[in-house]
Amino acid sequence: MKILLPIALAVLTASAAWSADQAVLDRGKKEEQQSCVPCHSLRLIHSQRLSRATWSKELDKMAGWGTVIHDRDALLEYLAANYGDDKPMPAPAISEDGTGKK
Amino acid sequence: MILHNDRPEDLETPVRYFDSYLTPVDVFFVRQHIPRPAPIDPETYRLTVNGMVSKPLSLSLADLKKLPQYTVPAVLECTGNGRGFYSPKVPGVQWGRGAIGNAEWSGPRIADILKMAGASSGAAFLETDGADTGLAKTPDFIRSLPMTKALHPATLLALNMNGQPVPTLHGFPARLLVPGWDGTSSVKWVIRLTAAAEANKGFFMNPGYRYPKYALPPGTPARPSELEVIEGMPVKSTITAPEDQSKAPLGPMTIRGFAWAGEQSIERVDVSTDGGSRWREARLSGPKLPFAWRLWQIEWQPADPGYYTILSRASDSAGRVQPIVAEWNPSGYLWNAIDRVGVTLEKA
Repeated sequence: MKILLPIALAVLTASAAWSADQAVLDRGKKEEQQSCVPCHSLRLIHSQRLSRATWSKELDKMAGWGTVIHDRDALLEYLAANYGDDKPMPAPAISEDGTGKK
Repeated sequence: MILHNDRPEDLETPVRYFDSYLTPVDVFFVRQHIPRPAPIDPETYRLTVNGMVSKPLSLSLADLKKLPQYTVPAVLECTGNGRGFYSPKVPGVQWGRGAIGNAEWSGPRIADILKMAGASSGAAFLETDGADTGLAKTPDFIRSLPMTKALHPATLLALNMNGQPVPTLHGFPARLLVPGWDGTSSVKWVIRLTAAAEANKGFFMNPGYRYPKYALPPGTPARPSELEVIEGMPVKSTITAPEDQSKAPLGPMTIRGFAWAGEQSIERVDVSTDGGSRWREARLSGPKLPFAWRLWQIEWQPADPGYYTILSRASDSAGRVQPIVAEWNPSGYLWNAIDRVGVTLEKA
């Protein structure tokens, strides 16, 4: 028991943390819709891969430019988890216009 | 076009469109910081010229067309062209190689407009405002230019681009053309020119579009007191053919590209087909001019199939040579490392 209890606790904590994370990520995604989309498309965000510290600075910059961010922690968590600098760069998106030209 | 942002539009030209001296207007890259203004009616458009002038002016498009018109072939390149290649990653549009184009720009000289307004010799800067305005508290896009550059005979208020009126996306009816300087200097939808004693202090002059005076270790923050305004652009070259990571049958081929050097002109371009071990000089075509790019090409007769790393390296009239490693900076400006493509040649 002496050995098992800490393990059981660790497992419990980890799964609780995971579900909390998912809830936070969902809130972050919603926050992104609410606070970023009014001024620019999400493509500008989703085409970048930045460290958590750099995303945090970007949020400060946008807040300074008048963006009202209600759930900053969740938004930062969501950006770092999905668009962190440990993630591969996305393939470039090509517009349809002009594709018929040589 | 390569889509970096749909709203406002930030569009990059795919490299395959760069095989001509002039970049077609409909594939010319687009960079916008803030939404473009509502369409400007050419009949009611007025350009305000004020500040340190003896005769403040309000000029119509017809007034601007009555002034002597000049044509300047010049590269327009986003300050952040190539930002996506920097490591560690920096925030901003992740441009590859295509935030650039070469066009023929026509319109009156800024010098003639300022002369008509009687600009004071004490005015050290020209402040330019475009009709676009920022959302929420996003700062207005205003730029200042040292008067010496504003009065340069090649600095224009461009009304035409490749012989047609400058399209809305590129600043209709009038945009600045500041040849050889970073693209952000060439303000679009110009509605006001102000002769001033000092440079504008807004975001797009400071800290925006500044570069570290002393190189920083990659990944470290800028030192605000050691940032300088970016002026002339560096020497650079791009390989347009073969396409990066393409396959081709083994046999003779022509390697092609273009090269440019800000306010300087291109002296030579060297090409390596073995990762930089041996270099050969490419043949340049077109006039040797400041501001505009030159096309180059070199014949290549590879003996064996396999994967080849092709490099290009430009040198300019000021003796500048493209570096192997571009200098990392926190905003990802002025990427100019030697260009590089990979091609696989297969037995025919």
